Amino acid sequence: MTLPRSRTRGGLAVVAALSLALTGCGADGGSEGGDAATAPGPEAITEPIEIEFWHSMKEKNELAIKAMVEDFKKANDKITVKPVFKGDYDQMVVAYKQAIQQEATPPLVQIYDIGSRFMYDAQQVVPMYKFIEKDKFDQNANIEPNIASYYTIGGKLWSMPFNSSAPLLYMNADAVRKAGLDPDKPPATLDEIGEWAKKLTVKDGSTVTQYGFNAALYGWFVEQLTAQDNAEYCDNGNGRSGLATKVNFGTGAGPKFAQWLGDLVKEGYATNTGRPTDQAQNAFKTGTVALHLESTSALGGYTEAAKGKFELRTAPFPKPSATSTGGTIIGGASLWINAAGHSDAEKRAAWEFVKFANSAEQQSKWHAATGYVPVNPQATSNDNPNFQVAVTQLRAQQPSPATSGCLLGVMPEARKAAEVGLEQAVPAGAGQEAKTSADQAMQNAAASLQSSIDKYNANVK
Amino acid sequence: MEARAIRRRGPTGEHRLSLLYLAPSLLIFAIFVFYPLGRTFYLSTMGTDIIGRANKFVGLDNFADMFADPGFFKALGTTALFVLFTVIPSIFGALVVVLLLESRISGQRMFRTVFALPFAFSVATASVIFALIYNPAVGMANGILSYVGVERIGWLTEPDLALISVSITTVWMTLGYNVLVLSAGVGAIPTEVVEAARLDGATGWRLHRRITIPMLSPQLFFLIVISTIHSLQSFGQIHILTKGGPDGATSTLVYWIYEKAFSYGSSDFGTASAAAIVLLVVVLVCTGVQFGVLERKVHYR
Repeated sequence: MTLPRSRTRGGLAVVAALSLALTGCGADGGSEGGDAATAPGPEAITEPIEIEFWHSMKEKNELAIKAMVEDFKKANDKITVKPVFKGDYDQMVVAYKQAIQQEATPPLVQIYDIGSRFMYDAQQVVPMYKFIEKDKFDQNANIEPNIASYYTIGGKLWSMPFNSSAPLLYMNADAVRKAGLDPDKPPATLDEIGEWAKKLTVKDGSTVTQYGFNAALYGWFVEQLTAQDNAEYCDNGNGRSGLATKVNFGTGAGPKFAQWLGDLVKEGYATNTGRPTDQAQNAFKTGTVALHLESTSALGGYTEAAKGKFELRTAPFPKPSATSTGGTIIGGASLWINAAGHSDAEKRAAWEFVKFANSAEQQSKWHAATGYVPVNPQATSNDNPNFQVAVTQLRAQQPSPATSGCLLGVMPEARKAAEVGLEQAVPAGAGQEAKTSADQAMQNAAASLQSSIDKYNANVK
Repeated sequence: MEARAIRRRGPTGEHRLSLLYLAPSLLIFAIFVFYPLGRTFYLSTMGTDIIGRANKFVGLDNFADMFADPGFFKALGTTALFVLFTVIPSIFGALVVVLLLESRISGQRMFRTVFALPFAFSVATASVIFALIYNPAVGMANGILSYVGVERIGWLTEPDLALISVSITTVWMTLGYNVLVLSAGVGAIPTEVVEAARLDGATGWRLHRRITIPMLSPQLFFLIVISTIHSLQSFGQIHILTKGGPDGATSTLVYWIYEKAFSYGSSDFGTASAAAIVLLVVVLVCTGVQFGVLERKVHYR
């Protein structure tokens, strides 16, 4: 009984499209957003106002949002923020697009990192820099430059980073010590991880009881490793000096990672748990895997799972080679303030909340409750050393086009294409051959995106 | 005379009344079926902007795009295999279970309940459970295999095996419903027919082949039609277990449509609608063929 669900969604889209056709406007609704939009001052709020805030935070993260909203209510008696969960990041984009068509966007919306170019092109928002200029808000003192760089387009900040995550290497420290290795000197490159993985693979007869390494076939890792190599994932300065017209993961770190992981799986030192990240997470949490790549967002869950079972340690995300000079890219999501169809009071109320959420005090609480990296450099970071690794890793690097990440309208699709490339290049299990060579698989994957990129660019020009 | 008068007057009055009774369902059909259907045809001829709005008439370009995409044909093939792998085992399996339960064994009611139980699981719950079972490193399936000394299997990560693994999950989920329907069918077979056959010396397999299965043919036909349609429209288990992967091995037509329309920030409703029309045609043809070929063999009482 599952099609009805997707059909209903299609139906909703259709109903949305109908309401658009009936009202006959919507196309001009966008003219209010973008560079021409203005940021209202505090005088815009004259009476109590309630605004909706669409987010994608679940479980403990959603509770943290509710706590933040409560704190905000205490500090601002005139503004009530109503958090509304709209499904995961992908579903949020679907919901948001429908809302644009129905002219029913919320004043404030949380959109994932890879939706940023779409948000820019959709021209629905008041860019964050407008409020920053209006209020003479000290951006450098309040927003970590390495995080702000991702959301900066044309030298200006378009959205407020909110929940930021970074990639990490996770270790089962007990297993590491048992193999005679030192968790205080973690492997720093893919090759070093490979060496460790060989020593960390434990067999009982012919069956493997512990794999040295595992990571989901997650396109995000290809993006991270490309940035670690100080290379750009897409052209035109990672889409920051103009619309990106092609992706570069067909060469460089992309095929290198695919080849490396494929070899480890083939030789039996790594297990291939496929694309869904929870499959890889389950394998690591149960102690079946010694080394593992994931985002900081998994740290809370891992800490919980490892309790009483094994000692959990984190280390900086690996570099493709010892000579790599780049850094990692921030992940997670940011907050966008909608302009189209919203009153000055609503826009201002949204900004007040954004400012509040960014404050050092709130970011400290948010970081402690969720494990996301604090966006505000003045925020106190969690004293758990496993969290510290991510914060140190982030603050140590210099913002550059490579580590700002690629801005691409079809970025979510690009990530998926990279994952299909990995699926082709990484064999299913030990002793098996991959269907396609790593170079060929990643090149095909990059080429498969071309029509989508061209179609998108033709639509926004 | 009087009867004829009533009959003549009847239709219009009754017709109006029947329309009134039908109005609520007609309204719901109009909103949720006929209108989206018409809209699908419309959208299939339109280009889509980045927000998902139909922005220009493109004629048959969406169909051309779709037929130019090798992924589309792969999805069609995958869909056909998926139907084959799910419909036949789930109906045949249910039939075997029901016939076995017919023999007088102790705990019959319990077994019937147990076999019907998967029907109570939602697609999402069942899929999550199977995802845990299939996990290559820590899953139960490989755990059992390792006891008997068999190498670990990438249930969902081997392109050749993933579709079969998803099909197994689907068969498990649909088996319960099929068992329920067939059990009810067996229960409705008049005892005198069975008694008569027994008196004539039919027992065991012969009794089933000559009496039980023919008497079940309406239920079997119903299940074949319904299962085929359900199978063609399966989504949840694919989304949760494999997301259409590895390398598109489990991307059925419905999943392909979903990806075009909603997944990965995409909103290509034009191409998705074109594919939805293909799906509609496939369902119509399958159902038509089934009615044309199979229904003739159905024994209605």
